[in-house]
Amino acid sequence: MPGNQLIDAYLARLAGRLPADALDELADGLTETYRHHLANAADPRTAARRALREFGSVEEIATAFTIQSPGRRAARMLLATGPAVGAAWATALVLGHAWHWPVPGPARLVFGLLLLLVVAALATAAAGRSHYARTRAAVIAGGVGLLALDGAVLVSGVLAAPAVAWPLAAAACASLARIGFTLRTIPRIISS
Amino acid sequence: MKEAQALKGHLDTLLLAVLDSGPRHGYAVIEALREDSGGRFDLPTGTVYPALHRLEHAGLVTSTWSVVDGRRRRTYGLTPAGQAQLHTERATWRDFAATITSLLEPAPCPATS
Repeated sequence: MPGNQLIDAYLARLAGRLPADALDELADGLTETYRHHLANAADPRTAARRALREFGSVEEIATAFTIQSPGRRAARMLLATGPAVGAAWATALVLGHAWHWPVPGPARLVFGLLLLLVVAALATAAAGRSHYARTRAAVIAGGVGLLALDGAVLVSGVLAAPAVAWPLAAAACASLARIGFTLRTIPRIISS
Repeated sequence: MKEAQALKGHLDTLLLAVLDSGPRHGYAVIEALREDSGGRFDLPTGTVYPALHRLEHAGLVTSTWSVVDGRRRRTYGLTPAGQAQLHTERATWRDFAATITSLLEPAPCPATS
């Protein structure tokens, strides 16, 4: 840290919104910028002001990181592909007369509620513009929920369907592909 | 202002080009962008860092951490995929620039006898 009050306050405001690695990197760049202006005969306060003006506002930085975050991109990808996977399952369930399957009513209700929560979490992450940590938490929660939903519907399909028809197989493949994507992506988002 | 926006539209390629000469840390990347653009690059410099992160997630650059003067420093370098991407972008840009130049430059006057 550069030990300048203005710069320390700026970094403290970013600290609540960005991951620690990003903050360390910004602190290094900001320190170099500050030193550059200090070397050009500016007094410490002026050098700090110039460095901060050059760097951009807290809002600009937080927005740039959030918009380009892997979590936001993953949320958009999952939301974009969701209707296709949902349509595949809807086709399989309708053609397989799923209303006759021995799935308890409360389980259907929990599934529906979880689906709504997952969509809400992913929509929050996809729309996030300036709060990196919140966007990351939302997509992780949405991704974990999606894994549970895909797992539940796959198990139900395997156990409850009277026979495996091609629509069911196609829907299962779509869910497995999404599970694979989610399992690959979530660890990268956690470490970002 | 128009120039800055145009540069922003090509930020990914410019970052790859700056890293073509060797690994650099974030501030050095920004300095190179500013110097190589003759001072025309005037985006908020803090916004260059997330662009570097995005290139890393795309597999075009890689980064390593070190400690300098007690501070953690992240240094970026091109991956083979990044070099290939830069090569493609350069060729595309040269074709594009040649086409636009041939359309914008006045044709030489035909010789008269």
